[in-house]
Formats: sequence, structure tokens, C-alpha cells
Amino acid sequence: MNSNKWYERSGRDGDVVISTRVRLARNLNRYPFPAEMNLEQKAQVVDSICKAAAKEGTPVSLRYIDVANLPQREALSLVERHLISPEFSRCEEGSGLLLSADEDVSLMINEEDHLRIQTMVPGLELDEAYETADQLDSFLDGQLRFAFDDRLGYLTQCPTNLGTGMRASIMLHLPALQDSGAIQQLANTVAKLGLTIRGLYGEGSKPEGAIYQLSNQVTLGISEKAAIENLKGIAAQIIRQERTAREELCRNPHFEDRVWRSLGILQTARLLTRDEFMALISNVRVGAALDMLPGVGLDLVSALINAAQPATLLAAAGEDLEPGARDALRAKIVRERLAETGKAQ
Amino acid sequence: MLCESCGKNQATTHLKKTVNGKTTEMHLCAECAQKHGVGMWKGMGFDLGNFWGALFAEPSDRAIADTVRCEVCGKSFSDIAQSGKAGCPHCYTTFYDRLLPSIQRIHGKAQHTGKVPAGAGEKMKKDRELEELRRQLAANIADQKYEACAQLRDRIQELEKEETPHEQQ
Repeated sequence: MNSNKWYERSGRDGDVVISTRVRLARNLNRYPFPAEMNLEQKAQVVDSICKAAAKEGTPVSLRYIDVANLPQREALSLVERHLISPEFSRCEEGSGLLLSADEDVSLMINEEDHLRIQTMVPGLELDEAYETADQLDSFLDGQLRFAFDDRLGYLTQCPTNLGTGMRASIMLHLPALQDSGAIQQLANTVAKLGLTIRGLYGEGSKPEGAIYQLSNQVTLGISEKAAIENLKGIAAQIIRQERTAREELCRNPHFEDRVWRSLGILQTARLLTRDEFMALISNVRVGAALDMLPGVGLDLVSALINAAQPATLLAAAGEDLEPGARDALRAKIVRERLAETGKAQ
Repeated sequence: MLCESCGKNQATTHLKKTVNGKTTEMHLCAECAQKHGVGMWKGMGFDLGNFWGALFAEPSDRAIADTVRCEVCGKSFSDIAQSGKAGCPHCYTTFYDRLLPSIQRIHGKAQHTGKVPAGAGEKMKKDRELEELRRQLAANIADQKYEACAQLRDRIQELEKEETPHEQQ
């Protein structure tokens, strides 16, 4: 397995921040939005964006993936790796994906908008993620002249994206805050500041793996820079709170026990459902962040979380498996990767 | 004008129907409009489209049947209001005035202040820079950082000078 993808690494403030993503929504002037386009028009849009992206001087080299003709497990694996949206994985003919070799830049063509530029970086790296997206946007705009209005900014299908068309998100691991029941209050507070926080996997009050996504909501009347600064400020506060809550947790002997037991199950289990895996790996991740588990680093945890997702498992296996066989395969992969870890004590 | 159906309430919903070239008009109160299934809240379903659509609801006295259509994609204002989605970028030009109140409700503001693409005009870029410099100036004055203020003021005057003769042409 190639180990240099962004979702298999950890980055700055990696104890709490898993990754950063910036998405820009852009459209071409001469065409209706994708929902209203016929196949011929869609093909034209795919063609002109691909040509523009391949032109000399492009800041990122990208390869084309025909998502509509991928096996379902591979399309869903792209969703699990956060490279495309769930809607896009179900897309029909006439949509396409441009992906960088490192998979840290993805361009969805004919999703809700003609173009969605996405950049992803491990850890808290809003400036870097935005800069990459911004450069690519400027390069493509030089050829395509994206739809823009002096008053409304970049024009998008959904009016909630007007203005900058930018959605910047931070993926956060908040097990201690979740334990203390502080997330709801946090959600209320960030909402007042034009941000939103929600569970990344699954709806409900306790998302699996305690993984949350914090992102900006308002896109009109606020510059990209201001929105990012806003997000940074709030993220810093959440990170501080999570760290304080973890210190509190460390004083509780049950917490240490839970971390080690979780590692023990992951190292020995023969069947692991996704839900069980996510709950256990969340405990192990905190342990890794606190340097409690020799040999278990945050990079390994990130790589495991990615490899254990259902469609990614199947895509790696190259075949569709019954849920039972899938759980066995998940347990096997996790067991092997964790075999030599955590033995010092 | 009283409602043509009940004859009691003020008519606030005005309908124009054109069937085979023959146009008929109807003036109803909100209650009767609802009964005839032509009210703003027809269906009252809560899928996302309707939810955003609700944001685009206009005051009922303006709910006149649509005759204006976007020349690029053919959408009418009520098409957009119902789905909560524009048909093409040009829709925002065609229906700017009618979309504006809802856009303002969504974002709290209605003037873009972010990135301006290179082709979108030098003047706008300059305006934006000026705006930013003035904001910084105000902040520095508040912080009593007078040295920075002097520099900012010079740059602002420079930009303003560049802009004025250009505008007079």
C-alpha cells in the first residue's frame, strides 16, 4: 500500500485535527447548471475543464477518472477517502473526476456545480489547503472565465454557496469533548459565528469514532481570508478544550484501561464490524495522541481508519464480499498492521 | 380588492392563467388561494428543495404568475423558488431583484467581498483594496498605531488619485 497519501498521514495539531479540506464551487457561463444539462452539454463541460486542467503550466497534474463507469465499491471508496461526495458517487453518465497522484487535489466535474475544486491536507493547514485551491482556480479561470457577478461573487446553483463559493472544513477527533457532553453546546456556539459542526460519520448525537467536521457556512459578504481566520480562531479554541478534557480523562484509571483494551481487541479480534472498529480505533487514537501506546502513531491510526472503511476494503480486495467475510477481512488487516505494536508494557 | 372566491377578505394572491392563448385572471385571499391549491405553501413538504424554496417565497401580493423567463435556461422565478436552485448563472442576473431578499436572508449580506477573478475588472479590485485599506486604517486608529496609519493613508490617497481621472474619462 502506498503510504504517502494525505489520509494516511497526520499533520499539525494532529492529536485533535485529522485533516483540512477546502472546496471551491465554480461554474461556466454558457451552460445551465448540471441538473439542467443534457448529455451532450455535460460532455462539453467535462471536455473543456479537462482541457483547461491539462494545459501547460498547470499547478497540479491530474488524471481523469470516469466515475459513472467505475465498479460501485471503487466509487464508494472515493467517498470514504473524502475525494468525492456521496451524491457524486451515484452520478450518471456525463460526470467526471480529475484527481492528483497524491489524491490531495480532486476536481468533481458536473456535480451540483460544473466544477468543485477540492484540496485536502493532513492536520490543521487551512492556508496551505486554500492556497493550492486558489492557484488552481486562478489557472483554470484564465482559460474558462468562471461565472462571476460583482455583487454576488461566484455564481453557484445553490444560493447558499454564492460569493466565495468556498467551504473550508476541518476534520476533528473530539472523543473527550463528546464524552463530557459538550458538543451540543459547542454546536450552538459556532452556529452563532456562521460556522457549523457535525458528525462526519453518521447522524445523531454520538457520531462513530467521535469524528466531527467544522466548516464555514456563510460565503457571501465575507472574504476567503476572513472566513479562514474565523475558522482558525474557533478551531484553536476547540483544540484547547479537547486537550484540557483529555488531561482530565488521563486522571481516570478507567480511561487508560479502555485505551489498552481497545488496542487488545483490535490486535486479536477475528471479526470486526465497522461500528465496533470505529469505536475502538477512536480510543486507540487518543492513546496514540497521548503517546501511551508504543509503536502506535497517528499516521498508522489514520491509515487504518482509511483501510477499514467498507468500500475501501472491498476495493482493495478487488471483489464484493458478504458482510461476514468483510468483517473478517477488516479484522485481519487491522490485526496484521497492529501486530507488533503496544508490546513494551 | 376583495377575494373573488369568498368575497370577504382582501385579495392578496393574483393569478394569471393562459390556456390556448386565452388569458384569465383570478384574485384570491390567502385562505382561498390555499384551498385552490395555489398558495405559497402548497404541499408543505419538507424535502430540502422545498426548504430552500421557502426562503425564496415572496410576499404574497407579489406572487404574480411568471411570465419572465431566463433567456439562457428558460427558468421562471417560481421554478427557482420551488426548487431553491437556480437554473444557470444567468438566472442571477435575470431575477436579481427578486432573489436578493432571500440571498440576504441566507447570508446576512448581499455584497461579495472575496476573491475577484483576474478578468473581472481592475477597478473592482482597486475598490476592494481601498475598502480593505480603509478598514485597516480604522482599526489602526482605534489601536492608536499612528505610524501604520500614515502609511495606509498615503496608499489610500494614491489609489484614490489613480481612480478619479479614470472615472472622468
